[in-house]
Amino acid sequence: MSEQVLDQQIAHGEARCPDEPTTQDIIASDKVGAPDWVRSESYEYLGSEDISTERYYDPEYAKKEYDTLWKRTWQFACREEHIPEPGDYYVYDLGRYSFIITRVSENDIRAYYNACLHRGTKLRASGTEGCTQEFKCSFHGWSWNLDGSLKQSTCEWDFPHVQADKFSLPQTRVETLAGFVFINMDQNAPSLEDYLGPEFMAHINSWGLENRYIQCHVSKLIPANWKLTMEAFMEAYHVIDTHPQVAVSNGDANSQYDVYGDHVNRFISPLGVLSPHLKGQYSEQDILDQFTVGDASVLGDIDRTLAEGESARQRMADTMRAMFEQATNTDLSRVSDSELLDCFSYTLFPNTFVFPGISLPMVYRFRPDPKDHRMTIYEVFFLRPVPKDGERPDPAEPVYLDEVQSFTEAEGMDPGFGAILDQDTENLILQQQGIEASAKPGLTLGNYQEIRVRHFEMTVDKYVSGQSVSGQ
Amino acid sequence: MNGEEMIPVTAAFTRFCEVSQVPPNGKKAAKINGVWVLVCHSKDRYFAVSNICSHQVKPLINGRVRNCAITCPVHGAKFNLETGEALNLPATKPIDTYELRIVDDWIEVKV
Repeated sequence: MSEQVLDQQIAHGEARCPDEPTTQDIIASDKVGAPDWVRSESYEYLGSEDISTERYYDPEYAKKEYDTLWKRTWQFACREEHIPEPGDYYVYDLGRYSFIITRVSENDIRAYYNACLHRGTKLRASGTEGCTQEFKCSFHGWSWNLDGSLKQSTCEWDFPHVQADKFSLPQTRVETLAGFVFINMDQNAPSLEDYLGPEFMAHINSWGLENRYIQCHVSKLIPANWKLTMEAFMEAYHVIDTHPQVAVSNGDANSQYDVYGDHVNRFISPLGVLSPHLKGQYSEQDILDQFTVGDASVLGDIDRTLAEGESARQRMADTMRAMFEQATNTDLSRVSDSELLDCFSYTLFPNTFVFPGISLPMVYRFRPDPKDHRMTIYEVFFLRPVPKDGERPDPAEPVYLDEVQSFTEAEGMDPGFGAILDQDTENLILQQQGIEASAKPGLTLGNYQEIRVRHFEMTVDKYVSGQSVSGQ
Repeated sequence: MNGEEMIPVTAAFTRFCEVSQVPPNGKKAAKINGVWVLVCHSKDRYFAVSNICSHQVKPLINGRVRNCAITCPVHGAKFNLETGEALNLPATKPIDTYELRIVDDWIEVKV
């Protein structure tokens, strides 16, 4: 154990990986400098108490989440590209809830509770999308206009008690941001902007994610609670043991962690640098030789011989700028080395991760399996830049994997990245089982590297116990 | 073959329309021998399927074509344009698919 950690003068939460450059030190040395949203820090010490574990397996806790958290939070329902034309719709489900997200006109997107007001049949099947001019029930033919107003009730003479103006489809709140469509069941919820907070709004507004398209979409069942599944992706602390194949070129123990209000947190995990765990064991040339990215196919057969004094990180930044520009037909000349290389992982409470970087351009969404709160529907979207001189491609169709299938089987998934996700999944099976088998009723977290887990669970607690949250 | 394309016996195929009448991501429906046929273009390919949804016998012509599938506009059933397979509820049965070929800028379909 280092002297720094043993030094009683260091308050809880202030210790950092000893004798190593910080993420900000690494980024400050880059040739193409990073923007403000990269060059800022917002860590906050939030205590060291254990996180109670019944939340991961207790059915009563899951029920409370449905009644409180899920009904009061802004959730990523679909991308605008899923519904580009009036009449296009996309069905988003959360537990037993189901919503039809539809574009009524060019700038009017609405979300309806997906149930006929006659005898309750879903107006559209779960997990579907399409285009229509009306939402017609397949049972008795009652139909609603795109704007939600009742269009027709079959045998109107038999329903003198049905007043059309009171039979419009109930709606949720809807807001769009950076190409994402968010919904909230709480009519009194704060605006999405207030919910996410000014710091994150400044970040996302500089990313241009509205100019991305879904190149790959994979959905997989994970046999673990949704919160546990999310937490597997909130820290780089696990990289050295879980993903040793990437540790040589990942600054895992010196990654940066930040929290913003109650609903957003992030890490920045620098790539192209040696893990502090492996200090002295590898050269810069070794780092370059073992460097991989989310989509290794983009790199192709590159020159991997470093000149004297040249850093692996700088070579990778220069190479990736050229390769990604060619592969994606986009202009990246103003994009910083850090944005090209590093892993930026943001959590948008409750269930979405956004990775705004270039090499790792993912969005994750996590939802509890409606049939089992100890199962998670985990979705991975790859958002690539829209070609600068081409038409926007249609969003990729989802590929569905069951719990025993490998991510590497999914069409469009890079095999190297799929293998990383498989390693995370394998841990989760054992973690869910272990938590349920344990004599210890709480999870013990690191003060810095696992702050996102604590921050996330503190917000879960606030919703479930009815406390106020930021933005209200 | 002498460099010439061998055209199969044409009796089984019927001229459906000119290629230009089905633009990229477009579709066209017409009857062949009393059978409603829908020709769609998606992902640089042409497909010929039944124009009638297997769910409640409604026409598919106004459905959305995307990624080699068509979605019925009435209740949302979706079908694989290559195999006819029903991809989601409320449909559980496939729609018919037909052989299609291009001859002299004409789309021909075998029903």
